[in-house]
Amino acid sequence: MAYVINEKCIGELDGSCVDVCPVDCIYEGLTKRYIQPAECIECGACLAECPVSAITAPAGTDPVWAEDNRAFFALPLPGRSAPLDSPGGASGSGPIGVDTPLVTNRNQG
Amino acid sequence: MGLTVSVPVSEPMTSETELLIIGAGPAGLFACFYAGMRGLGVTLLDSLPHLGGQVAALYPAKEIFDIAGFPAITGRGLVDRLVHQARLAEPDIRLGEGAGSLDRGPDSVTVSTSSGHRIRAGAVLITAGIGRFTPRPLPALEEYDGSGVHHVVAAPEEYSGRDVVIVGGGDSAVDWANTLAPYARRITLVHRRKRFSAHEHSVNRLMDSTVRVLTNSEIATVHGAGRVEAVTVRDCGTRASVRLDADVLIPALGHIASLGALKDWGLRLSGQQIEVGTDMSTGVDRVYAAGDITTYPGKVRLMAVGFGEAATAVNNLAVRLHPALDVFPGHSSDRAFRPIPPQPQEEVTTWRM
Repeated sequence: MAYVINEKCIGELDGSCVDVCPVDCIYEGLTKRYIQPAECIECGACLAECPVSAITAPAGTDPVWAEDNRAFFALPLPGRSAPLDSPGGASGSGPIGVDTPLVTNRNQG
Repeated sequence: MGLTVSVPVSEPMTSETELLIIGAGPAGLFACFYAGMRGLGVTLLDSLPHLGGQVAALYPAKEIFDIAGFPAITGRGLVDRLVHQARLAEPDIRLGEGAGSLDRGPDSVTVSTSSGHRIRAGAVLITAGIGRFTPRPLPALEEYDGSGVHHVVAAPEEYSGRDVVIVGGGDSAVDWANTLAPYARRITLVHRRKRFSAHEHSVNRLMDSTVRVLTNSEIATVHGAGRVEAVTVRDCGTRASVRLDADVLIPALGHIASLGALKDWGLRLSGQQIEVGTDMSTGVDRVYAAGDITTYPGKVRLMAVGFGEAATAVNNLAVRLHPALDVFPGHSSDRAFRPIPPQPQEEVTTWRM
C-alpha cells in the first residue's frame, strides 16, 4: 500500500510534494502527478505539502485512484508501447507528458 | 526535513574490524547487537549524523504498532531501545560517513568511506534501507564544476559583502536566506514552485526581509570560469530569462536517498534493492545484506522482517568468518552473558562472558 494522488491534483501540478519526497517517486503526467506505488516508502512527507489535499494515506485511499496511480506505471500509457514500470526516480525521467486514460477522459468530459 | 550532515575531518587511515555494518537503522542496529552475541567485533557506519536511520530522520514521533512485543511504540522510542541493545556489542560507531568503493582481497574486503577512511573487514553487512541520503541534485550544476557552490553552508560571516543565490523552497533554503540576509551584500532566493513549503513563520520573515525572492523560477545556467560569476534564472511559466551576478550558489533542495557507491559493488540489483539468497548472501563473497534493501520472491518490507534477516545474515556470515562455528547461535537465554549494570556516569551497558 502506498500513498495515492487523486483527482484534486488535475490541473494543479503544484509540485511541493515532489520537493519533499525522499525517494523521488512522484512523477509528472500531463495535467496531474502520480505516485509509483512500488517506490513509495510510505513516509508521509508529501501529505502535508499538497495545497489542494490531493494526497491520501494508505488507510484512506479511494480504490479508483489507487488503481489509477498503479496503472500509470503498470500499463502502457497512450502513445507508448511499454509501461513506465519503476524508473527509480522522477528527476531522471522528467515530465512524462501524458496522463492515464481515466484522467484524459475526465479532462475531455 | 532539516538533515544536516557534518563532514568529518579527513583521516586517511585504515582500521580493521571483523564485521562492517553499513546503515544504522533498525536492521543495522539489531544486526550489531547480534554480531556482539556471536562474539564478532563490529564497526557501524552511517552517512547520517545520527543513529536510527530513516525511522529517526523521517518519523520519530509516529507510533508503530507492528513490532513484536510492543503493542505501540514511537519511532524514537524504538530507536532508543535498539541503540541500547546494539551498544552491548561495543561497536565502533562512525556517523556522518558514507560507504564508498569496495576492494576485495583474499581474506577480507576493504570499504573506503566518504571521509577517506578505509575499513578492512572480514565481512560486510549492508543494512542501508532506502540508501544514503544525499543532497538533491540541481540540474544546472551538471554542466558546471567550478568553485563557489556551497552544498555545506559556512559561517555567516564568510558571506559578508557577497552576492549569494540560494535555491530551494523548504525550511533549509528559507532559513539560510533569513540567516545570511544581514551579512551578504545581496541574497536571492530562487524557488521553482509558486509556494514555499517552509514554516509559515519563516516565510513571513523572509517576505519582510531584504531577500530578493524569485518564485516559479529555476536556475537555467551557472556561469563562470573556475568560480561562480553569475546565474541565469528562468521563469517556469513565461520562460523569460534574467542573468544575475553571483559569487556563491547554495543549493538547498533537501535530501534524496540513493544506493550511491553500492551500485558499483558488483551486486545483483533489482531496482533500488539487492537480491539475496536465503542466507542473506549477495553473491559477492563476504558481502551480505538485510532489511529493507534486500529483495527476493515474497519479500515483505517491514522492520519485523528486517530484524529476522539481520539475525539470519549475522549467523551465516559468522560461519563464513569462522567455519568451525555453527550457524545456530544457541539461545540467548542460555548464555552465560550477564549484562553489566550501568555505571553512574555512563548509560551504556556491556555484556561480559
